[in-house]
Amino acid sequence: MMVERMEMLITLLGGISTLAVFSFLIKENAFYRLFEHIFIGISAGIGLVVSIKSFIWPKLFAPLLGLDIVTYPDGTFSKSYEPATLLYLIPMLFGTLFYFIYSKRHSWLAKLVIGFALGASGGAAFKGFFNEMMPQLFGTFKPLLVFSGHQIDWFESFSNCVFIFTLLSVMYYFFFSIRSESRTLGRVGVAGRWLMMVSFGAFFGSTIMARMALLVERLQFLLDDWSAAVAALFRIWL
Amino acid sequence: MSGAIDRRIIFLLVLLALSTPLIMKYSIKPARMASADKFYAVIDKLQPRKGGVAFVALDFGPNTKAENLYQAQVTIEHLMRKRVPFAVFSLYVLAEPFLVSVPQEAANRLMAEFPGERWEYGKDWVNLGYFPGGFLTVQAIPKTNNLVEHFKKDARGNNLKDLPAFADARTLKDILFLGEFTGLTGMFDNYVQFFTSADYKPPFGHGCTSITIPEAYIYMDSGQLDGLLEGIAGAAWYSERLTQAFPARAKDSAEMVNTGLGVAHLVIIFLVVIGNVLAFRSGRSQAGSRA
Repeated sequence: MMVERMEMLITLLGGISTLAVFSFLIKENAFYRLFEHIFIGISAGIGLVVSIKSFIWPKLFAPLLGLDIVTYPDGTFSKSYEPATLLYLIPMLFGTLFYFIYSKRHSWLAKLVIGFALGASGGAAFKGFFNEMMPQLFGTFKPLLVFSGHQIDWFESFSNCVFIFTLLSVMYYFFFSIRSESRTLGRVGVAGRWLMMVSFGAFFGSTIMARMALLVERLQFLLDDWSAAVAALFRIWL
Repeated sequence: MSGAIDRRIIFLLVLLALSTPLIMKYSIKPARMASADKFYAVIDKLQPRKGGVAFVALDFGPNTKAENLYQAQVTIEHLMRKRVPFAVFSLYVLAEPFLVSVPQEAANRLMAEFPGERWEYGKDWVNLGYFPGGFLTVQAIPKTNNLVEHFKKDARGNNLKDLPAFADARTLKDILFLGEFTGLTGMFDNYVQFFTSADYKPPFGHGCTSITIPEAYIYMDSGQLDGLLEGIAGAAWYSERLTQAFPARAKDSAEMVNTGLGVAHLVIIFLVVIGNVLAFRSGRSQAGSRA
């Protein structure tokens, strides 16, 4: 019963919050502002709590302090303490040097951490770039004539031709080092710009689609869950 | 003339268009999505084996649950129907409640459909929880020689070696499938870049929000993705495929939401056309009066 009441309360609050945010569509108002600030506060707070609860405590402090070792009724332990976990202290202490950024005299210590983080991220990004981009580069090597058995697959062939033309014309549009005076090449650049416009149109259309999907989900929540919670609340009062 | 329309009237029209199918509980069959078909085929081909486990990354929160949640639901349901054990985890802090609710709801749904059968936590799926660290977490997975020792415990604090779904998982080659659902910029890149080794890449299915569809197609074209669920439309078609394969399956909300979305698109197209016609006529009449 208590759990059901709590769920009903959460649903009611969720509906009120949704309506508060939607009230901005009518005009800027204090109701909207209040819930906007609540939302920002909760978003910041929940990240910290979940990080501590799901990661920092169970995976760092509990093993470090030996608090993940269970003592059984017969006096034996679920496992022995691993001294190697003490090594966690080294990166932890190194990481805390970041807070020296607030000290004018010792801010160079924070730069050590920042430098390490930048170096590590840069190295990983370098590897990641090749893992991500090389298959895409190879993916652009498409045959202009595609055969299906002994027959030409006209649709695939046309599709590949459009692909290659788009690729080359867009690349030419962004090729600023040497500009040719040729009118034909100039038209290729213009075609590249137009093809990009088509692509931006697709992005814009899909953005609208995503926003509408968010609205549908909220409407579904209001019409199904929230209206049921409001009805239940009235039943309790009456 | 067109500028005289109060924007609140447009909001109201869109609101009415979206809510009508939801109130009437009306849905139409979704359009076929080729990329979603490929996603379906990848999971349909999976065969459970000793040590084999699928990884499902639910990297979404309430902000994109409108699309990613339905995608994750149908994927997890399909894995459960195939009896392929899987591990859910996330690199996004706000995803934590979904790591618990999505597999459990899918299990409840299947147990209602098949009264004699059971889908249980630990045996059919495990929740590895939320991991901070982004790409650092992902790139460590292909390097490990023992996935159980690498992750050690699940989100509930159980030892993974005691959970049959994960107990025999050792290396990247034991990961039968990787499914990732997100609407966050850069999140998906972590997996494309680092969830691979020199000699093995698990089949990779991605569920994206509508905004990122044009970008995600690039990865389909290059073969880095084996399947793609494009927004709610992809989830709705996947749901339809599941219903075709399992006729006794209870209907879910994906198709109804997709119908609402379709109606909203029609309203927007109508408004764009009307707006342009009115602007064109207004321009012509102004030109006429100047002449």
